[in-house]
This record gives sequence, C-alpha cells and structure tokens, in this order.
Amino acid sequence: MSYQPVIGLEIHCELLTSSKVFCACKNGFGGGANTRVCPVCAGMPGALPILNRDAVRLAARAGLATDCAVNRYSAFDRKNYFYPDLPKAYQITQFRFPICGNGHIDVIGGRRIRINRIHIEEDAGKLVHEAEISMADLNRCGVPLIEIVTEPDLRSAAEAQDFVLKLGRRLKYAGVCDARMEQGSLRVDVNISLMPRGSDTLGTRAEIKNLNSVRSICRAIEYETERQSGILKSGGSVRFETRRYDEKRGVTCAMRSKEDARDYRYFPEPDIPPVLLSDADIETIRAELPELPRERYLRYTNEYRLPDEDARLLIARKEFSDFYDAAAAVVPEYKLIANLMLGEISHLINETGADITDAKCAPADIAAVAKLTADGVVTKGAARELCAILFTEGGKPEAVAKTRGYITDSDGLGPIVDAVLKEHAGLVEQYKNGNEKLFGYIMGQAMRACGKGADPAAVKQEILIRI
Amino acid sequence: MRLSELRARLDSGEIDAVGLTQEYLKRIHEHDKALGSYITVCERSALREAEAAQSAIRAGRSKPLSGIPLSVKDNICTEGVRTTCASEMLSDFVPAYDATAVKRLRDEGFVMLGKTNMDEFGMGGSSQTSCFGGVRNPYDTRRVAGGSSGGAAAAVAAGLCAAALGTDTGGSVRQPAAFCGVTGLKPTYGTVSRFGLIAFASSLDQIGVIARCAEDAGYVLSSICGCDRNDATASRLARGNYTQLVGSDISGLRIGLPREFFKGCRDEVSAAVMRAADYYRSIGCELADCSLPSLEYAVSAYYLISSAEAAANLSRFDGIKYGHRGEGDDCAGLIKHSRREGFGTEVKRRIMLGNYALSSGYYEEYYNRARRIQAKLRAEYEEIFDKCDVILTPTAPSAAYAIGSRESDPVEMYLSDICTVTASIAGLPAISSVCGYDADGMPIGMSLTGRAFDEKTIIAVCDRFERDFERKENSFAGGGLI
Repeated sequence: MSYQPVIGLEIHCELLTSSKVFCACKNGFGGGANTRVCPVCAGMPGALPILNRDAVRLAARAGLATDCAVNRYSAFDRKNYFYPDLPKAYQITQFRFPICGNGHIDVIGGRRIRINRIHIEEDAGKLVHEAEISMADLNRCGVPLIEIVTEPDLRSAAEAQDFVLKLGRRLKYAGVCDARMEQGSLRVDVNISLMPRGSDTLGTRAEIKNLNSVRSICRAIEYETERQSGILKSGGSVRFETRRYDEKRGVTCAMRSKEDARDYRYFPEPDIPPVLLSDADIETIRAELPELPRERYLRYTNEYRLPDEDARLLIARKEFSDFYDAAAAVVPEYKLIANLMLGEISHLINETGADITDAKCAPADIAAVAKLTADGVVTKGAARELCAILFTEGGKPEAVAKTRGYITDSDGLGPIVDAVLKEHAGLVEQYKNGNEKLFGYIMGQAMRACGKGADPAAVKQEILIRI
Repeated sequence: MRLSELRARLDSGEIDAVGLTQEYLKRIHEHDKALGSYITVCERSALREAEAAQSAIRAGRSKPLSGIPLSVKDNICTEGVRTTCASEMLSDFVPAYDATAVKRLRDEGFVMLGKTNMDEFGMGGSSQTSCFGGVRNPYDTRRVAGGSSGGAAAAVAAGLCAAALGTDTGGSVRQPAAFCGVTGLKPTYGTVSRFGLIAFASSLDQIGVIARCAEDAGYVLSSICGCDRNDATASRLARGNYTQLVGSDISGLRIGLPREFFKGCRDEVSAAVMRAADYYRSIGCELADCSLPSLEYAVSAYYLISSAEAAANLSRFDGIKYGHRGEGDDCAGLIKHSRREGFGTEVKRRIMLGNYALSSGYYEEYYNRARRIQAKLRAEYEEIFDKCDVILTPTAPSAAYAIGSRESDPVEMYLSDICTVTASIAGLPAISSVCGYDADGMPIGMSLTGRAFDEKTIIAVCDRFERDFERKENSFAGGGLI
C-alpha cells in the first residue's frame, strides 16, 4: 500500500496597515513590552473595537491577487478561549462570513490549489517565559491578520513550498504583507494526512505548527509523511492532533491536548457592524491594486521583449524587480540592463549573501552603465566589472569607468599604437610582406597596450591607417 | 426645581454652584448610610469641579450642565476614580480613561458627586447583589430599590444628586426608577456611546438617565448623546434636543395598550396604569388596544442573548491584567481562582447560562432561536407603530418588595423583567414614570415606549402626565433642595 500526502495550509499574514485592526495603536514591530497598547487592544473594561478600513482594503486586495471573490457582505465573530496572550479572552475573527472566498494559485507541475477563504482577524500578544514566571507582552495584540485557508489540494512538499513562495510574492507585490517568515509576518500551519494512492478517502490529519521557514515546511511534511505512513502500515490509526515542529531535530511532537477539544462558542460580534462593500468599492480597490507578478511578467515579455527565463528570474523578488524597473525607466535598454542584473549583480548577490537592497549604487547608475555599453563607450566585459564595483562600493559610473581605465579617449590611441608598431617593427614588416596571420598578434599587442577600455574597432582603425 | 430652572438660577447667580454641591455632599453624608446608594463619594474633586464651574458661569461661559451635581453608576469608567461594577473582581480598579458619556459631561463642567451602587456587573433587578451591600428604597428602607441602577434611583429619589447616569440592558434604569418613585429613561440603542461602559450585553446595553422628571431626563440625555468615533454602534441618528416637544399639545396622539403586558401584573399596578390611560384619553389622546404576541418568549430570549454576550464580555476578567487575582499553581489555576473569588453567585449563574447557550450543539436551539424571537418582536413592534405613536405599559408587575423576600428564586426574579425587556430587545426608547402608589405607599411605575430615536415624543408625553400627577415624597427627599 502506497500513501500520498494530502496537504492543506492555513497561512496567517500580517497586514501592512499603519494602525492595528481595531484601534489606533501603531502597527509596528518591536518596542519595549506593553508600550504599543491602549485600552482597546489591552482588553480594558469598557473599551470597544473600531474596524480599521485599511485592513479591509488590504484583505480585499489579497483576495484579488489570488483570484478570490471579494464578498459584498462579511462580518465578525467572537472566538472564545482563555489564554494569557488574549486579553479579552476572545479573538475577534470572521468565522461565518469571511471577506474573500474561492480563489486559487497554480503550483509547479500545474496543479491548481484552491483557496477556500481569506478572513480578517486580530493577532494575540506574546508570552515570555522565564525560570519562575511567565509574562505577557500585549504589543502584538490587535495587529491585523488575514488568514488564508487552502483546500487540501497539495500533494507534496515541493508543491507546498511553491505555493507559499508564490503566495508570499503576490502578497508582497500587492502591498498587502511583506511576507517574511523569519520575522513572523507570514506564518504557515500545515494540515497533513495520508491517502492511499488511487483512493480519494481522506485520512485523519495532523496539524503542524511552529514552521518558521520554507525549509521547515518541507522537512516537516517529509517527516510527517514518514511518521503517519509508519503508523498506518503497522495497522494503527493517526490521531487528530496538533503537533509542534522542532527545528533543531527536524521532527514533530504532539502538543499538550489543550489545543484539541476546544469549543470556541462562536457568535456574531455585536460591537462591530457588518462590512458592506459595494461594486464600486471593490472596483476602487481593484484599480488601486499594484502590479502583480504575472502582470509584470507579461510587461517584461510582451513590451520589453525579454525572454521568458529572464522575466521569470527578474520577478522572483519584488525588490529586485523594482530595482530593474527603476533602471529601465531611466534608460530603456531592457535587455542590456536585464543582462547586467541577472549576470554580474545576481552573481554578487548569490556569492556574498547580500541582497539587492544592499546595493551601494542606485538603479540609475546601472542604467548609466547600460547606456555606456549601448553607445560603445565601454565593452560588455568592462560593463560587468563596472557594475560589480558600483554595487559594492558605489560611485559615479563614468568617473569610475575612467579611473579604472574602462574608458580611453580614442585620441590617445594613436601614440600607443605607434609605440607598439615600432616595438614590433619586424613583425609589421612580415605582415606587410604577406604574412596576414600576424595581424591578430599585432592587434593583441596593441589592445593590451591600449587597455581594457579601448574600443577594438578603433584600435584596428589606428593600426590599419599606419600600415 | 427642574434642571432647566436650576440652570437659570445658577447662571443668574441666585444659586452658587459650590454651595449647591456642598449641600448635596452634606445630604449624602447624612442620609446615605441608611440607603447605601453610593459606593464612592468624590468629596474633594466634586468641590473642585464646582469651583471651576462657578468660574465658568461667572465668566458667562456656562453650558447646560455646568455646576450641576450628578451621580454616575459604578459600571461607567471614570478616569482616576474607582469603578467597581459593585464586584470584588474590580473593587480596586481605577480606569485610565473616561467613558465618552462622562467626558461629554466633564466638557460641560458638571459636578460628579460620586459613583452609585448597583447589582454586580448590572445583573439583577434589586441592587442586592453588590459586594458593598444592597441599596435600600427611600420609600421604605426594608424594601429593595430595584436594579440594577438601584443606587442611582435611590439617590435621585432621596435628593442625594440632581440627576443620575444609569445603565439599562433589560430594564435596569426604568425598573429602579419605578420602584423609587422617580423617572428613568432608556434611550434608543445607539443613542449614547458605550465606550467606557463596562459591558454586560453589548447589543442591549445603553447608558440612560434617572431624574426627578421627564424633562430633566431629556435635558441630561441631550448632553451625552450622539455619534462617537470610539463606538461603532453609536448612531448618527441621535441628534439631541430631546426636550423640544415638552409642553406641546399632544391631543390626537395615538397610544397603544398591548394587552399581554397587563396579564401577569398585580391588580393595583394594572389599575394605576389604566388610570394613566384614562388621563391621556381625557386630554384628547386616542387609546388603542394592541398586541405583542411574542411577549411570552421575551424573557427567555432576553436571558439567552444577554447572558451569552455577558459570558464573553466578562471573560476578560482573568486576574492577569487587572482586577482581583487569585492564587494558582499554573495559569489555568490562576484564572479559575480569580474568577471563582471575584464573581458573585448571580454573575456566575449568568456566565454559565450564557456559555451553555453558545456551546456546540446548543447554539441553534438556544442562542439562535433567541435571535429569531428578537427579529419577531421587532417586527411586531413595527406593526404596532404603524397604528400608534407611543405604547403605554406597566414598568414592573409589582411595586418594590421586601429585601430578601424574592431574590432566592432567580427565575422568579427574571420573570419580573417581563414589562421592560422587550423595549431593550427591540432597541426602542422607553421612559418610566410614577403613575400611582400601592396600598403600602410604594410607587407604581408606567412606561412609555416610542419609535426608534423618537425620545422627544415619549419625553413630552411623559412630561404632560407628570405635570398633572402629584407625587408623594419619601422621608429622605429634598426639603426643597431641588
């Protein structure tokens, strides 16, 4: 009996609003414990939630970016449970009427992964544990989240990884979330069960939490597949439970069962009126939607005529693509700039572990290098080296090029060529007498003497007019 | 003396604001031991506020409530002043902010005499569940003052404040006002911001006013009503100016009498309310028999909805952030003991009832069904208001009863809310006033319910009756103070 993993994801994304979802506290990161709180998000008696409309806008954008329907009517519910990081002892979420539904993302291999719903909810605080005591920091209470829930359509770790990367990228492009798993702005829970190949009966799933990177997601899926497979093969049954992924050991462990049998006693949130979006509202949100990866890909291939591979590589990271766009806006040498960025700059990034945002130069500088190349002022080789220098050290492109000898005045070539021909006078004689093969050698010597910045065509000219 | 007249005399200088406040403080000091209407008396700050108000008045900058001494029910947050909800859970709690209603009063320079006693967390109809001791009725201190705003009602009745802010979820302003022989107004849901009102049932709670007459209630309401950035359920339709129709001719007004309301009432109560109906007929109003068929389900629906919301609203009291903290070996133990020790019996009962109604498997049968009854009641009210302008009913099936005679049977207590809960469920405005006295001399209350946001009409209609009805004073009352 061979088993296939059946995977669904629940992804929580922190929205890029300036305030929290139900109060005016800043939606930021860090700060001393309990310094970004107010009566509302701290659950003080008498405080009431006020819905942040920006959160609605961004949640709707997330839906549009994933081909979901944006629901005209959505509403909030209370999810009740006690925990020290939840000040009201209920979380305001959208249980019955989420803001978006029925979307999808297609993953590598072509499978369509359906998105069941996207809903808005508030984040809880953080607990800090020390030897004798635990403490609650409520700064994160009320941070706006969207929860994106997929159908159990994924069938492998690779598909899951692709889904998360694609989703993160789309959300980033859409300005919804900065999608940084290591920082916690994107959190992925995996629901995984095993299904006998050829069957369509779903097995009992386990829910895996504490996945802090895409790699962890893959490892956890692989571990779970093996674990559950072992249980099923020996005739046992998989328990429905929540398991915690242990990054160090690469295994999942059952969490204490408090998570499993909760009755959340959902009921409609009486303090917040339902969210009503008109067709016009949704069209406005759609119009404000920034360019998504697919659209940018089409722009690169259709308008800029870049090859498919170039376009794919450029859009992979938004900051990288933004840099490219900024450069191309200055100098529309689309292919040249693409070459420079996908060549030397990407090489640097990969080698040194730097990021495009670490660049010491501006996009306009790279654009300038492309222009110098296009005008024939520097060679392609020189251009690559120039980019590397500008990226790591900065500086003005033309000045650096001159200092490093990538640009030479053609006027200066004459005397150099004279000197070379004089030095190799014997060879010049032999060439003149018919040994044409020697031209290459003479050319080479001349090029070396003139320096890398020399335009080969110009050097050739100088030689020919002398001999 | 009506508040509008007090305003005039303060502004003319005939009455001095500081002297007025001192007089009230003296009376509280003298009489409140017998009544228990205040939990906290703000002696020093009240005098400071009176002085500030007096300066403003002298400088010609007075506002409607400048220098007027009011009390505030102790479930409404007042910055820097203990706010306990009459519970051990919050016996030391000092809010860091003012409720919007309080802020609006402060902006007018009112004087806060203190925080009044109540049933714990607003749950009750007798004001006997307070951890600070019960409130006694000024008409007979062996009897309950009603609840949950019993302290507010007793204070107004005994002349221990000029008017009072109370809160009403299922009758908690109207019923104690009736029991204590004064006037109590619950506005349309959404009229007064709930920001700073420590929540009991979010979809039913409203801050209301207890005063000596309908016009005064409208006067105070006008200062605290209206939209608020901090409360998404506060309505733009609450526009104030609630005394505008006082004194106008109400002949031709159609008054509905829903027969179901009179069924469970004591004979004396029905008779007194019918005498009020006769009065209205005699001045030219039209009386009409009408029906609210779903009344028989109203109390059940009310207790399911309010308890469910209350259970969630009171979950935040876990001993971790504020309030009473019990000891525990672990977090669950800490929370459990904090709540076990901090909450009284009635509060625990409602929380359990509420959680039960919401629990998996029962939600449809209890909570959701209660919601459907709510929808039905709203529709039935709408039908009545097609043919009537106001509805006249008793406020409670009986007058105030002896302390300890009834509170041991919770269900009987709940059933006596039958006359007040429907206005809460439907979100409609209702005002209670005295329409008679029973054989023991205890006040009997009648209620006028109006269309949504039509407080002006019910205030005017109530005021008309009050001008021609002679109230009996209690032994504490004013001595001409107000």
